[in-house]
Amino acid sequence: MYKLLKGMRNEVCAISTQVGNVLYSIPLESDNTDYQAFKKEVLAGAELQDADGNVMTQEQADDFIKELP
Amino acid sequence: MTQAVALAQQASTGVSQGFKNRIINGAMTIDQRNAGASVTTGSGGTYTLDRWQGLAEQASKFSVQQDAGAVTPPVGFTDYLGVTSLSAYSVPSGGYYAIRQAIEGFNVADLNWGTANAKTVTLSFWVRSSLTGTFGGVLQNSANNRSYPFTYTISSANTWEYETVTIAGDTTGTWLTTNGVGVWVMLGLGVGSTFSGTAGAWAGSNFISATGATSVVGTNGATFYITGVQLEVGSTATSFDYRPYTTELQLCQRYYLLLVRGTDVYFSNAYYYGNNNLYGHITLPVTMRTAPTSAIVTGTNYYVLWYTNTADYINSLDIVYSNSQNVSFRNTTEASGVAGNAGGLFTGASASFVALQAEL
Repeated sequence: MYKLLKGMRNEVCAISTQVGNVLYSIPLESDNTDYQAFKKEVLAGAELQDADGNVMTQEQADDFIKELP
Repeated sequence: MTQAVALAQQASTGVSQGFKNRIINGAMTIDQRNAGASVTTGSGGTYTLDRWQGLAEQASKFSVQQDAGAVTPPVGFTDYLGVTSLSAYSVPSGGYYAIRQAIEGFNVADLNWGTANAKTVTLSFWVRSSLTGTFGGVLQNSANNRSYPFTYTISSANTWEYETVTIAGDTTGTWLTTNGVGVWVMLGLGVGSTFSGTAGAWAGSNFISATGATSVVGTNGATFYITGVQLEVGSTATSFDYRPYTTELQLCQRYYLLLVRGTDVYFSNAYYYGNNNLYGHITLPVTMRTAPTSAIVTGTNYYVLWYTNTADYINSLDIVYSNSQNVSFRNTTEASGVAGNAGGLFTGASASFVALQAEL
């Protein structure tokens, strides 16, 4: 499960995911391999939540991913 | 021999004084993630000692630990990477188990692979296994469609042996010279026929080892220890390129940077942007390969901001902005202070752990 993080200007600036007790924050950076994996996994059906914790539909998630760098 | 002649000879044989060994942490001295603890590999890639990844089709078939088994390393080395098989697993045709390191494209750009001027390289390492026989590995490109399988022989069980493999550079294929994967170096621990190829020739395939190689994961408790791994330009293996510890650590930190571990350790200043909105910024000691992912162990009161004789305990941190040289973190869930106040951010528990990763 992934969740969007918003920054000081209320913009989406990173992605959060937790595995066990380790919290990962992933930047929106195309060279980052965790970011590459995030996009693949969401397109393959992994859950994506907006910054308020609302679960996106697969269509919403797909549209969001397509707009990312 | 005059110094001028010696330098001329070194130049003619391609010996470099700067970065001879393209492998990082080849002497297995650096283990930022695990500090010497054993790691059981998951499915896919699991990072173990710095820069070294365990590759596995299925989880829990082998473990990796710095200095596993506590044997004496080869002369001149203090550490090794130790693999232990956790079962007697019969690897199916599509199975693959290996240790591997990705060399960044910037660090192999001079090899000219993918061109008519491709340079020959030599891989050398010390290896010790409870098994004997023919073992295998490959060099591979980032797209996994150019592979050079090779073999080497371990003659005596539980004895350190020195291996060298010389590989003519690939004159075709695409080889990245950027901050992506330039060359994968893999050593097989049990690879099925789908991912095994004929040794001694470049192939346009995704191979992970050589046909006929011994399977380490096929024997419960089998061990495979390795150190002194070096990949260098030229057709002859030369002495291991001992770099200063600080240099080797900084090379590792480009891909993985342990910021803090353990209790009561200061690691940043921070301030209240709002009463419940704690922010801090860290300038990194090295330029990382790309904007890093943060990996932060969370738990009740794992981190604490000390300010004006007050402790504000929080459980975790998010990295909200980062680039290859800076990160900004925050907490908006437990932070409770006064906007504008600032203080020192410390760890609050023995399990507290903050790291950044920009692995290939």
